[in-house]
Amino acid sequence: VCQVPVAEGKSVQQTVDILHKKLEQLGAVKQGSFCVDCETYHATGSVTGQPNKLLYVMHNSETPLSCLALFEGGPCLVADANFDVLMVKLKSHFQNAKGHKVECRGSRYRYCDFLIKVGTVTMSSSARGISVEVEYCPCVVPGDCWNLTKEFMQSFLGPSVPELPSVFAAKPEGLFAPADCVDTMT
Amino acid sequence: MEAPPVTVMPVTGGTINMMEYLLQGSVLDQALESLLHRLRGLCDNMEPETFTDHELVYLLKGQQGNPFILRARRSLSHPTSPWHLRYLGQPEVGDKSRHSLVRNCVDVAASHSLPEFLNEMGFRMDHEFVANGHIFRKGAMKIVVTKLSRILVPGNTENTERLSLSYLGGAECVGSCRPGHCVGGHAQLC
Repeated sequence: VCQVPVAEGKSVQQTVDILHKKLEQLGAVKQGSFCVDCETYHATGSVTGQPNKLLYVMHNSETPLSCLALFEGGPCLVADANFDVLMVKLKSHFQNAKGHKVECRGSRYRYCDFLIKVGTVTMSSSARGISVEVEYCPCVVPGDCWNLTKEFMQSFLGPSVPELPSVFAAKPEGLFAPADCVDTMT
Repeated sequence: MEAPPVTVMPVTGGTINMMEYLLQGSVLDQALESLLHRLRGLCDNMEPETFTDHELVYLLKGQQGNPFILRARRSLSHPTSPWHLRYLGQPEVGDKSRHSLVRNCVDVAASHSLPEFLNEMGFRMDHEFVANGHIFRKGAMKIVVTKLSRILVPGNTENTERLSLSYLGGAECVGSCRPGHCVGGHAQLC
């Protein structure tokens, strides 16, 4: 997942349209839309006297029945959709910072074995930026397919291609897990 | 690879008001075989299943009021299965003629990082135990006959000691409405 800078002199929507056009020229086929959202919670009572960490609860339309909960720099939990109901029950202990809900919505493209999602990132209905998620579907070992993924990204993103995300650098031989995807998104 | 549907499910409606209807009793160890025999006849025709679960009860102490209780359960006989997290609300007080315990319940399946995650949230483990026994089904009802064991060394599920000389029997139904159906089913099993 990477952040794409808005093209000079253009709006967020125009830059997204340029990206869509480039992908279509490459031969990618549009396949529906996607949505990833992230809600922030903070603990109301102080546990140890130290500032409380933030809890992020994310939903990804690729896994509609799941919910991912992540503490900043801490453990990640993969749960089913009822986790949201539990957070409602816990509202006296964890408050939902409603103004901080971040959403990323956009189109999903398929190009051979690659899945590309170009999304507009919004917070409180105002567009904040563009994110591009690229997935090389046949491979579950990030270290093995990073170079290929990077080369593909350069073909339509140009120079604004990130380095291997730190979560993958730490375990180049490890298997990709949804928690890693969430980590890079936050 | 088709795109999955993009829908935003509001957190209201059915799932937030799921209620658990529970009836419990106990039988002495000597009566176990006879109870199992009876249940095989009364319940749905299926292969009898046994289970061995490890349950940990977590508390979150707030600034006021009663602590928030969550029950995390994992299967020792199927170690790769997800953890089951359960919240149970206060029992509903009302109909005195109703024998079942009725309380709000929220069930969440979770990954194996659950204990660490709960600790990070501020929950602390209050107690743990091992439950093993038999499970039956009758329609929407789950009927369990359980033997509870105390864990002698925290975290060590091999070293346990039976809590009593009896088995705990329970009939449970989870639903959002139609309490009459559940209560009727419970009455039949009694």
